[in-house]
Amino acid sequence: MHFYYITFRSVTYAQRGEKLLQGSGIRCTLLRTPRWMEQRGCGYCLRLWTGEVGPALQLLQKYQVPYRKVYIQTRDGQLEEMTP
Amino acid sequence: MIYLDSGATSFHKPPAVARAVAEALHTCANPGRGGYGAAVAAARRVFECREAAADLFDCQPEQVVLTTSCTHGLNIAIRSLVRPGGRVVVSGFEHNAVTRPLHALGADIQVAGRRLFDWEDTLTRFEDALRRGADAAVFTHVSNVFGYLLPVEEMAALCRRYGVRFVLDAAQSAGSIPVSLQALGAAFIAMPGHKGLLGPQGTGLLLCSESGKPLLQGGTGSDSVQQEMPDYLPDRLEPGTLNVPGYAGLAQGLRYLKKVGVERIGQRERRQRKRCVSGLKNLGMQVFSGPHQAGTVSFLPGMDCEEAAERLARRGIAVRAGLHCAPLAHSSAGTLETGTVRVSFGYDCNDRETEEFLRAASKLPPFTQ
Repeated sequence: MHFYYITFRSVTYAQRGEKLLQGSGIRCTLLRTPRWMEQRGCGYCLRLWTGEVGPALQLLQKYQVPYRKVYIQTRDGQLEEMTP
Repeated sequence: MIYLDSGATSFHKPPAVARAVAEALHTCANPGRGGYGAAVAAARRVFECREAAADLFDCQPEQVVLTTSCTHGLNIAIRSLVRPGGRVVVSGFEHNAVTRPLHALGADIQVAGRRLFDWEDTLTRFEDALRRGADAAVFTHVSNVFGYLLPVEEMAALCRRYGVRFVLDAAQSAGSIPVSLQALGAAFIAMPGHKGLLGPQGTGLLLCSESGKPLLQGGTGSDSVQQEMPDYLPDRLEPGTLNVPGYAGLAQGLRYLKKVGVERIGQRERRQRKRCVSGLKNLGMQVFSGPHQAGTVSFLPGMDCEEAAERLARRGIAVRAGLHCAPLAHSSAGTLETGTVRVSFGYDCNDRETEEFLRAASKLPPFTQ
C-alpha cells in the first residue's frame, strides 16, 4: 500500500473526484495541495491510501474529472511525481 | 397573510432551508480557501448545492455557476455572447434583467413575437428574426407578468438550426417546470435561487455549456499565480467569497424539489391559476389568460392596479401590481399605461387561499372599458 496524491486545479473537480472514488470504494482525503506541487499556486488534491493508483485514474478519466498531476510517496517518505 | 407573490420570491420556505443557513453560519469558513475543517465544511456545502442543481437540471456540477441572482447570471451570459452593437433576438415578454444589459451594450434588439399565449406567432416571428441573422437570442421561459409559457423547446431547435447561441431566462420556471441544460442545448440558463428553487435571497444559478466571459475578476482560490482568470468553470465566473449560508439553504430547497417533484409542483400551481382565472372572470375583471400559461395570472379591475393591490393588502392578500420590471411585456400586451395586478402561485398554494383571494377580489370594482 502507498500514499498517492492526485492534484486538481479546482476544489470543485477535487470534490467530484472525491465522491467518485469513495463511491467506488477507494479511500481518499481532500487536502490543500502542497505549494511545491502546484506551480500555478493554490489548489486541492486527494490523498489516496491504496495498492495501485491506476484504477482511480481510470475512473477520473472515464467520468471526465480533470486532474493535473499524480505523486507517489516513496519508502523514505519523499513524494515523486508520476506523470510527466 | 395569504401570499400570492411567488413570482417575486418564495416566502414560506421549507424549514430545512432556514436550518441549513443557520448551520452554515455557525460551522463554515471560506470555501476553497483552506484545508482546515471549517473551510472544507464550507466547500462541502457549496458542492452539495452544485450537485443538487446538476441533478435537477441535467448537467455536471462544474457547469453550475453560483451567482447572487438571476439578473447576475443573465448579465454574465449576455456579456459572454453579445458584442457591443451586436444583433440579438428576444421575445416580446422579456424582463428588464434581459433588456437593460442589452441596452447597455448598445445591442440591436430584435423583438420577435408579441402576441400573448400564441405559440404560432411566437415561433413564426422568432424564426423570421433568426433567419435575418443574429449574434445571440435571449428569451424567457415564462413571462413574469402574464405567466405565458413560451415554446422554448421549439425556439431552442430553431436556434440550433440557424446556428445562433442562446440564453434562457428561467426566472419564473425553475422549480415548477422541468429544465434540462443538455436537452435544450442552451449556451446559458439563468435562474434565481430564491423563487421556485426555494432558497434564500441573494442566491442564483447560471448553468453553462461554455466557459463564458467573467463579469468580475478576483480571487478564486485556484491558479493564484496567474493574473488572468482561470479558463475553467466554475472558478472562471466565481471570483470572491461565495454566499455559503445562502447556497447551503438553496441546496435544501433543491432537495425538497427533487423529493416532491417539479412537475407535481407545477401542476399544483397551474390548478390554482385556473381556479383563479375562472373566479376573476366571474367577478367581471379583465383577465389575461390563454392555453399556454404557468402558475401566474395578471388582471385588471375597474380601478388603478396599485390601489387595488393596496386594498387587497389591507385584507391580508399579498399580490404585486404595476409593471413588474417588464415594460416590454406590458407593451406587448397593451398594458403599459395601466400596469396589471399579478397573482403568482407558489409550491404551497391551495384551494382555501385561492378562495380567500377571490373573496377579497370580489370587493374590487369590475373592469370597465
